[in-house]
Amino acid sequence: MFDPEKLIRKGLPKGYFKDILVRSLLGGITYLIVLIAVLLFAKIIIDGAPAIFTSKFPFVDIEFLTAKNETLHVFDDANGTRHQLPASKYSEYVSTHQGENIYNEQTFSYSGGGIAGPIAGTALLTVGSIILALFFGVSAAIYLAEYAKQSPFIHAVRLAILNLAGIPSIVFGLFGFSVFVLAVPVITSTPSDRTLLAIPLFINDWVLSFQGWNSSLIAGCATLACMILPVIITASEESLRAVPQGFRDASLAMGGTRWQTIRKCVLPYSLPGILTSSLLAITRVAGETAPIMFTAAVAAKDDFPWQGLGNPFDILSSQVQALPYHIYTLAARIPNSEYTQRAQYGSVLVFLILVAVLSFGSMVLRAKMRSKLKW
Amino acid sequence: MGIVGSFSDAHFLAKPDQSPSTSPGTMAPEERSLPATRHRFQRQGFSYERLIKFFFASNAGLTIVILILIIVFLLKEGLGFFPGYRRELETYRIAGLEFVDISRKNLTSHEQLTSLLNRAYFAEINGKSVREMRRTQEASALFNAFTDQIAPTRDLILNNPQGETDGNSGMLASLRANFEIQRAKALDSPLPTPHLTADERKHLIESLRTRPAEATDDPPLVAALAGEFAAAQQKNSEPLQAYRATIDVFEAAGSDLGSAIMEMTELVTATKEKLQSADILEKDRRTLLAAASNEKNPAEREKLLAEAQAALAEKPDIETPMQALLERRPDNIRLHAELRLASAEIFKQIPLSLSESDANRLLNAARSAWPVFLAGLDAAPEKINAWKHTDPVPLSDAIISFLTGRDWITGGEWQDFYGILPLAIGSLMIAIVALVIAIPVGIGSAIYVNQFAARREQSLVKPVIEFIQAIPSVVLGFIGILVFGTVLREISVMDSLQWVPGFPIEERLNIFTAGCLLALMSIPTIFSLAEDALNNVPSAYAEASEALGASKVQTTFRVMIPAAFSGMLAAILLGFGRVIGETMVVLLVAGNRIKIPDFTAGLGVFFQPTHTLTGIIAQELGEVPLGSVHYRALFVVGILLFVVVLGINATAHHFVNRVKK
Amino acid sequence: MKIVTTLIASAALITVAGAQTLSMKGSDTLGAKLVPQLAEAFKAAGNKGVKFEIAAEGSTTAFPALANGTAQIGMSSRKVKDDERTFCKTKGVYIKEHAICHDMLTVIVNKNSPLTSLTKAQVAKIFTGQIKDWSEIGGAPGKISIYTRNTSSGTYKDWQKLAMGGRDYPSSSLKMAGNEQIAQEVAKNKNGIGYVGLAYSKTPGTKALPIDGVEPVAANAKKYAYARLCYLYAPDKPTAEAAAFLDFVKSPAGQSIVQKVGFIPN
Repeated sequence: MFDPEKLIRKGLPKGYFKDILVRSLLGGITYLIVLIAVLLFAKIIIDGAPAIFTSKFPFVDIEFLTAKNETLHVFDDANGTRHQLPASKYSEYVSTHQGENIYNEQTFSYSGGGIAGPIAGTALLTVGSIILALFFGVSAAIYLAEYAKQSPFIHAVRLAILNLAGIPSIVFGLFGFSVFVLAVPVITSTPSDRTLLAIPLFINDWVLSFQGWNSSLIAGCATLACMILPVIITASEESLRAVPQGFRDASLAMGGTRWQTIRKCVLPYSLPGILTSSLLAITRVAGETAPIMFTAAVAAKDDFPWQGLGNPFDILSSQVQALPYHIYTLAARIPNSEYTQRAQYGSVLVFLILVAVLSFGSMVLRAKMRSKLKW
Repeated sequence: MGIVGSFSDAHFLAKPDQSPSTSPGTMAPEERSLPATRHRFQRQGFSYERLIKFFFASNAGLTIVILILIIVFLLKEGLGFFPGYRRELETYRIAGLEFVDISRKNLTSHEQLTSLLNRAYFAEINGKSVREMRRTQEASALFNAFTDQIAPTRDLILNNPQGETDGNSGMLASLRANFEIQRAKALDSPLPTPHLTADERKHLIESLRTRPAEATDDPPLVAALAGEFAAAQQKNSEPLQAYRATIDVFEAAGSDLGSAIMEMTELVTATKEKLQSADILEKDRRTLLAAASNEKNPAEREKLLAEAQAALAEKPDIETPMQALLERRPDNIRLHAELRLASAEIFKQIPLSLSESDANRLLNAARSAWPVFLAGLDAAPEKINAWKHTDPVPLSDAIISFLTGRDWITGGEWQDFYGILPLAIGSLMIAIVALVIAIPVGIGSAIYVNQFAARREQSLVKPVIEFIQAIPSVVLGFIGILVFGTVLREISVMDSLQWVPGFPIEERLNIFTAGCLLALMSIPTIFSLAEDALNNVPSAYAEASEALGASKVQTTFRVMIPAAFSGMLAAILLGFGRVIGETMVVLLVAGNRIKIPDFTAGLGVFFQPTHTLTGIIAQELGEVPLGSVHYRALFVVGILLFVVVLGINATAHHFVNRVKK
Repeated sequence: MKIVTTLIASAALITVAGAQTLSMKGSDTLGAKLVPQLAEAFKAAGNKGVKFEIAAEGSTTAFPALANGTAQIGMSSRKVKDDERTFCKTKGVYIKEHAICHDMLTVIVNKNSPLTSLTKAQVAKIFTGQIKDWSEIGGAPGKISIYTRNTSSGTYKDWQKLAMGGRDYPSSSLKMAGNEQIAQEVAKNKNGIGYVGLAYSKTPGTKALPIDGVEPVAANAKKYAYARLCYLYAPDKPTAEAAAFLDFVKSPAGQSIVQKVGFIPN
């Protein structure tokens, strides 16, 4: 007898529990990662918040963000009150309290004052390297997207981009150190002894000397720019290709030249996309430590990079503090105690907020662009 | 946007005559349409358009230039390493350091054996006095915690000279009051002391409560318990007297060889210094000559040449000290033979087993190492006689010693060795830990998000994982050094987890700590690439499978994953490349111990500290003199990293391309 | 071609660093604590205009920096080696030595260690890896963790000479970037041992052990086994700022800071 009822499965389908099990296992793993990320941020925020937020208006410890980095002095005065003063205030205290004894004095390097120096250094490094990378990267992308045809040259360029993207950051550090710090040409009247090659220019006894830029802002920027060049090129090329072919065709049909077409009909529409993806590159540049360790960064510096310069271009040849390198110093070089916590967790929190804002910004912008720019 | 309007500012180019043949798709259509008389550049086949195109092309070529520069400069700095290292190894041989090391190796194993026997001895005694040991440890831990807490206020009292002015005495009283508050707080919840009786504990706490601030001696109970422990040790050492005597005899047996090695060491280091300063003088001379050849002023040049002449190094006399060293050969062989004889004798006297398990383990280790030690002594005379300081050191020795060397010793007093193995193994072990964690998690969550998650879940999980990717590695290193390492150590001392191999961990910074953090770094990479791979599977596959009645899980595991397998493999490989190339986390968290991990510890090997290829560059590059052998060695490490990572990436792209085809 | 012109154009902008900068490189022992505080005091004493750059990576870094002119003063916790002096000479820099203070290398262990003193022989055996367990010298059982400085450090080499008879460190030793880091690790590891400059011997959680019965305190500098001199090195014709700073360091005001930080004045 044919019984249609038999064809319909009763109860739970076969493998239902297996299904549930697999689902919840995979889901569990996924949410574990989310949980770990959340815990991580919570820890940093809880420990770092006291350093940069205050209970009073404007709720942010301006001093931590704007003061220079100094040694922290911790001591008790004769009444048993504990003082924590950065070096400049400490010397004030000592001179106004002449003759009073202080006890239990301890000093903590890098833990007093604020982190304005590292913030300024990171900003300069980031801006400098992004300008360099955008200039060269967008140009390269224009060539790849607008001019290039299949040729061995293009093939080589694509291969180079692919390989550059995979090189570890420490190798970029080595590269930057051996090329930008030690080998690039400078024009000077007093060539250094370690110069690789000196070519006299016959003007004012100037010499084109291949002796490098020393450890300096410009060397750091150049190294970082080389590192993110592949990212910028790939992203820019994608944005350029996203502009519909019809725009180009229309312009060319009207008699526009190739360059006019690019300048007036392609670049303006792809610019938002290029800038958005370069935000992501900024995040990466701001966070890198290994490439700037030997090319630009110093652990301690009294002044801001732009102070005490003979001419404004000297800023390029001065070494800078940088937020990631500062965090490295704080993690590796000084003890972890209640007095150093403010500097340590505070710096990390500021850094993370910076990175979060940048990457969140790029995410939002990307989403916005997708919904807006539809051809 | 007026395209027509734009022509007005195209001042450099005349309005072209529109020829009908201009087709938009071809390259540079304007060239064909331009009248031949407009501009002199154009007549010569130039145009601004071409210039612009050339400009863009050269920028694209910049990537190739950078890649070539990277390779050229790595090679330029790195290739000089092998000849330099060969020269160092040659000095090592010519000066006789290698000769001394033959004997020293045996002395070191003798010391290791002595240490093992000693440790067995003390493990036996302490094992038997374990109760007393716990008691004294607990009491002093409580006392130490107490003193730590009251230390600041106590210091204030001690530092304030008493009996000064009246104002001061009032302050002293307030300090004392402060001290009492701290003391009460400290005694609020003293550490647990499970091995002390309730009476003893009460007594101890009471004695702390009434202890004068100025007291510096230990509380009576702490002192008494220390005495009790010492007495127990004394008592338990009595049955072991024979064993102790054996150890002492064994230790003494090595002293003759030890002092002979000391004498030889002085001899050969002097020779080495002579050789090195001759090398420096020679370099000096060459610099001065080079400076002289560039000098235009004849008087100055004469001066430099004279200095160079003065710097002309006499060839250092290495033969005389070498003869003195070689004359020691019979003496050396005799010392080895004596030690061999004594050791074989002593081996019969050491006990077969001890009662405590720890002690037994150490004793057995010593017993099993003994034949190796004796064999080393046996082989020594032959090695000593066969050794010749005139043996050439070929370049291949330097290369082999670099690639297979087990020691990376730099900046030492004795001899520098550049062996890559400990660093490469360290990098690899960390990568293994990271990938073992990151592969299941990264791939698993990619499958979940892509196949099972609702849209809203996706929009929650994806940004979080993307954000993990944005966390700078130095921040993760910071977390590792300040938080994670300490937490891991606290977990590892929990009694309920002692079955885990390697627990309790010795160092909070180790392979596992670094591996976990790197896993967190590589999860986003693996996740997003694996998710892409799943996305790229044509939707028809899933539709067909479901139409055939397969469940979602079946579709996922039987259809989607096999289809996306190549892409997932590529994701894993790229994650691997990222882990190997990562620097800051391993520099901060791996523990920086340059040693091949001790694989006899089983899985516990993952809780040992290590050092890595990337970490060594970051740590040492800033510190080495430019152009030195050490400096070049770091560049060779860089070349190795470069090649390895590019190899991994190339393989990954090979898989990606296979999918595309 | 365009690239080359761009590079040259930007390169032309690069000139030698500003005049008022006083760049110091070298020892971490000096550069992490003492010299920054000396610099702060130097500025407070009326030299506001001088700008300091201090990089403390290890004594070995001092001499190449002096030779290349990237530093005006080198900090070193050991004496300059002959080859380093020659190297500077070949670059036209004749360096001059300024002994600024004494330092003692103290042996620190975890605060909870029951040990109260060590002998020189024990220290040598521990740091060369002959003694591997604390129970061998009367401590609580546990495998000894040795924390040392990194290889470019003057302290690393000094310690090898002073305490280890020139032998190599065992490969089980952990290399740390600075004194503070050693102290921090020892404070966290109950089986840790390390050596630090006197200024760092009072880190909470650690205790400095007497050697052969001599307490590691400033008053015992003459008797203590591991005492050494610390130096600043400058070219024989230093810049005005460098000369002023060196004078300040040697003045009573400078020496009082030396004492306060925990070094022993000359």
